[in-house]
Amino acid sequence: MTDEREANSDETLCRRIAARDEAAFDLLVARYQGRAYRLAWSLLRDAEDARDVSQDAFIRVWEAADRFRGESRFSTWFYRILVNLCLDHKRRGRWWTRLVARDEDSDADAALVERQPAPGPDPGDQVSEAQTMARLWEAVHGLSPQQRAAVILHAQEQLSTAEIAEVLKVAEPTVRVHLHRAVAALRKELAP
Amino acid sequence: MSDARRDDLTPEERDLLARAAAAAPPPPEPRWGDYRAELRAKLEARRSVGARLRGWWARPAPIALSIGLATALLLFALQPVERKPDLTLAALDEAVIGARLGLLEHYRVVERLDLLEELDVIRQLDDVPSRKG
Repeated sequence: MTDEREANSDETLCRRIAARDEAAFDLLVARYQGRAYRLAWSLLRDAEDARDVSQDAFIRVWEAADRFRGESRFSTWFYRILVNLCLDHKRRGRWWTRLVARDEDSDADAALVERQPAPGPDPGDQVSEAQTMARLWEAVHGLSPQQRAAVILHAQEQLSTAEIAEVLKVAEPTVRVHLHRAVAALRKELAP
Repeated sequence: MSDARRDDLTPEERDLLARAAAAAPPPPEPRWGDYRAELRAKLEARRSVGARLRGWWARPAPIALSIGLATALLLFALQPVERKPDLTLAALDEAVIGARLGLLEHYRVVERLDLLEELDVIRQLDDVPSRKG
């Protein structure tokens, strides 16, 4: 049982990919595609970009699998590739792309309110909660790209601060500062 | 888990971050079959481009061509550049002449000295025995 788990572990699959095992690559893609796409989408807020960038991350895995030393977990290594690609993509983003994205974001926020379940016993509370969530999400996107990545990796991907530090290539105290600043920004946003 | 994560956050702060991350509206889910097919196509394209480049570089003719081109470029870059007379040089000449205007005031003396130099007199003045008394 343990041997079987070891044989299918991410790290083993990555070693097999380094030996150009396409079946291992397909398995790893199937395992990570959802997480990779969602994480990229959380950082980029654009479905098309998230699709492209997450696919690029898998291509990097194929090309650089032999450089994975196994000193950290495969997921940490993979998130580092993906987050770096996302941050690079954002840096390269043109001003007009951002303007268009801002308009789409407003639509997305409106859609978020519309997507809430049908009003239950207290419609006022439901709408209020949806608006709070939309404001929270908006506040997350007001953070710097690094802070946002730290929040998403911490809260969504459940990474430790040490792992986030490794992904973002910063010191662990810096991650804690990112998280505290994010909390402060979110509180400010939610303040009446 | 919270100890292992060492984030220095209070449970309330951690909850706020969790709510913020959960506030993300669900992304439009791609068709995963298409997603993987697209990924496979991109990977194939990269591999074929890489293979073509490697194949091109492995042939002797392209290598010779590249070396020849690099040498030509190097020679071109290193060859001395023939400079056209420059306006700044002309301005410099004028400045030098301006500084020697004092000599031009005594032009006749200078002209005679030049003549004596040409007659090789001035250079041999030291060798001319002095006439004493």
